[in-house]
Amino acid sequence: MRTPIAYFVMLSGILFALGTVGVLTRRSALLIFMSVELQLNAVNLSLVAFSRMHNDLDGQVLAFFSLVVAAAEVVVGLAIIVAMFRRRSSVDVDDARELRW
Amino acid sequence: MALDNVVFWVFAPIAVASAVAMLVMRSAVHAALFLVVNFFCIAVMYLLLDAPFLFAVQIIVYAGAIMVLFLFVIMLLGVDRNEPIRERLAAQRGLAVLLAVGFVAELFFALRAGVGFATLAPEGFDAVNAPGNPQALAEVLFQDYFFPFEVTSILLIIAAIASMVLAQRRSRAVTQAEIDVDATGAGAAG
Amino acid sequence: MVAGEALTATGGMAWLWFVPALPLAAATVNLFLGRRLGKAAGVLASAAMLASFIVAAIGVRELLSLAPEERLVVLHLFDWISVGAFRVGVDLRLDAVSATMILVVTGVGSLIHVYAMGYMQGDPRYGRFFAYLNLFVFFMLMLVLGQNFLLLYLGWEGVGLCSYLLIGFWFDVPGNAEAAKKAFITTRIGDTAMLVGIALIAVHFGTLDFDAVFGAAGGQITQATATAISLLLFAGAIGKSAQIPLHVWLPDAMAGPTPVSALIHAATMVTAGVYLVVRTHVLFELSEVALTVVLVVGLVTMVFAGLCALAQWDIKRVLAYSTVSQLGFMFMAVGMRAYAVAMFFLVAHAFYKALMFLGAGSVIHGMHEEQDLRQMGGLRRVMPITFVVFMIGGLSQAGVPPLAGYFAKDAILEVANHTGRLGIYVLGTIGALISATYIGRMLFLTFFGQARSELAAHAHESPAVMVIPLGVLAAGAALIGFANTSPEGRVGGFLEPVTGAAPGGAGLSVFALGVIATTVSVAALAMTWLVHGSGRVDWMALRERMEPLATALQNGLYLDRAYDRLLIQPGKAFARISAFVVDAKIIDGAANALGGGVRRLADRGRLVQTGFVRSYALVVFLGAVGVLAFVGSRL
Repeated sequence: MRTPIAYFVMLSGILFALGTVGVLTRRSALLIFMSVELQLNAVNLSLVAFSRMHNDLDGQVLAFFSLVVAAAEVVVGLAIIVAMFRRRSSVDVDDARELRW
Repeated sequence: MALDNVVFWVFAPIAVASAVAMLVMRSAVHAALFLVVNFFCIAVMYLLLDAPFLFAVQIIVYAGAIMVLFLFVIMLLGVDRNEPIRERLAAQRGLAVLLAVGFVAELFFALRAGVGFATLAPEGFDAVNAPGNPQALAEVLFQDYFFPFEVTSILLIIAAIASMVLAQRRSRAVTQAEIDVDATGAGAAG
Repeated sequence: MVAGEALTATGGMAWLWFVPALPLAAATVNLFLGRRLGKAAGVLASAAMLASFIVAAIGVRELLSLAPEERLVVLHLFDWISVGAFRVGVDLRLDAVSATMILVVTGVGSLIHVYAMGYMQGDPRYGRFFAYLNLFVFFMLMLVLGQNFLLLYLGWEGVGLCSYLLIGFWFDVPGNAEAAKKAFITTRIGDTAMLVGIALIAVHFGTLDFDAVFGAAGGQITQATATAISLLLFAGAIGKSAQIPLHVWLPDAMAGPTPVSALIHAATMVTAGVYLVVRTHVLFELSEVALTVVLVVGLVTMVFAGLCALAQWDIKRVLAYSTVSQLGFMFMAVGMRAYAVAMFFLVAHAFYKALMFLGAGSVIHGMHEEQDLRQMGGLRRVMPITFVVFMIGGLSQAGVPPLAGYFAKDAILEVANHTGRLGIYVLGTIGALISATYIGRMLFLTFFGQARSELAAHAHESPAVMVIPLGVLAAGAALIGFANTSPEGRVGGFLEPVTGAAPGGAGLSVFALGVIATTVSVAALAMTWLVHGSGRVDWMALRERMEPLATALQNGLYLDRAYDRLLIQPGKAFARISAFVVDAKIIDGAANALGGGVRRLADRGRLVQTGFVRSYALVVFLGAVGVLAFVGSRL
């Protein structure tokens, strides 16, 4: 492969940053959640890239685990969002501001 | 120009572009679909990095299961109302973008100082992948990472139960008095 | 001088500590049980005094059995302060000077206690009065018996306290509390200076014991230090003995009951200053300046107070200013190094001044609490016994031979003359003239002429319990002079081992001096009889012709007003500023501002908690980027 590893890592970083912007900027809980998935994927990419760099499979195994856990997380998180929606008929995170001055 | 270079330079911009598109879409469904595109691109990256198993699993699990789940919830709850455009928190967007740019810059400098942008992948990965990538992964997974594997399986079960509990509709418990009233009513009528 | 070591007390002198202890015990009993004892409180107090006097007399008699150079006995009771090398013990010292003082205090004191049993009869706080009176005697005895400066100071402060308590005894009468406060605060000024002096002594000598200090004095301190110490100690004496400029409290102190005025403000407390200088004369003599200051202060006070006495209408105020003036006379003698002579004068003065105060009390009692001379007149017909004893006291002060006052005054003038201080001799003689004049004025206005008011016409004699002590005092005022028919006489001889010989010299012969003194006294008395007693001169018109000088003198040359404007009002203003500006606004303001500032800070600070999760997340991301930058820069 002729592409330097660092390029993959840079790509991962850019995707992660974009995911963070999404988390911070969007107001719907679902969209925030999707941005979190984007972040997780970016991290997985960097894990696999480093695994390739070290000629090791540990990174790929870690990425695998990350993927599985992310799946579980999505399940629970969506259940929470559903419950949240049932209670207040909205998934806007700005509506949950009781913990204020 | 090697083939993997071309592939990389085609799919990397698509990945970034789809991510950006996901961010700016007003509709949740559109955003979800663009996210799927992004996942496909990342899967291709995995392939470039000699991880064919992950390439397949990424598509099956992420794009096939997780995103479908997302779309189900979106459709179910009818939350495809468009998000408001106006940002009510001052400087939130500006600061977020600024910090993100800063983060990327930091990463750039760290990489340049560390690995270096010229380092290619070393040659020995074919030896690692010799029995085939899935088999090699299995050997590592079920030997070195056996314990986390088992724990993760428990985690999945818990997650499934948790989601059932969290999402169920709670019905009010029926009191004894109501049962009696029903019985008398039914008895009187019948 | 008394040579060598002090003897330890043996025999009768071992009971020396009973002398102050008995009044203290009686005071304690009266403090707690006074109300229940009723009239017995007075009897208890007087009995304690008499017992104390007897013990003192026994002790002095034993002292006399020793040779003159050996008459120094120290009785160590217990250690009071023992810190490192600094030791102060409760030691009582019996020598000629302290013997004289305790006899005067307990003797005259007992008589005044008996008198007070009659005078204070019917007062609701009868027991408390005698408790205070006994307590005062205790402190006065500690003052004169102390063998170190700390015991002296203890007694000094104690008598000041009791003076305050007794002046303000009738505190429900407006003005009495003010007079008590004035006395206490004015003497406090002197006391503070004295304390500084004592501290200097402690610093320079490492001890406060009299024998240690006086023995080492010459070698251990410079003349400047001796001057400083002496002047500071004398400042205390100025306050306590009511000399200029701290004399202003004594005329106002007449607000207290008359026995108080007699005991404290005539016979004992005010003489503490004279005792102090006599006791510490070793230090004074090391300084060229100190004794001169004493002399000048005494001189000025004598003349000034004498003139003021001439203009008073209140019988007790005449006596008050007279006391100030006579104390000035005593300090004058001390300033001339005639310590034994001054002590003798102190004793004679105690008798005749106490006598006159008690007599005035009798007059006031008979006049139903009227004290103005203008309302009196012709009282010799209705109060004969009081008249006789008062006359004896007055004539004694005026210096009519062969009464005690004549001998005492003459002795001082003789020293002045023989040591070549002719200016002082002349001024002293003028002072004697003024003294005789105001005494005569008071005597004749009170007892002679026609009764000028109903009260005077129907006045009555005082009961026996008041009159008998008067008699005893009169005997003393008359006869004590014979104890000292010359400066080298028996009293002087008794005192000399402690005080040093009176300065001798040459000048007019003793006889000539006596003639001059007698002539002055008799002339003054004759003149005042003419003006005030014979009825031939309209003394009211004469007084009015001398306005406004007369009123100025009556008001003490407005010194009180000057003090008020210069010191008291600024002091009060300063206190007001301190309380209402510095304390309330600045200090409290600072504390409140601090609290308020924290409050405002918190009010602003809490706005950070907006409740928006996204804001919090942004800040977390900010922190993460920051940490990354930091870590990255270190790589």
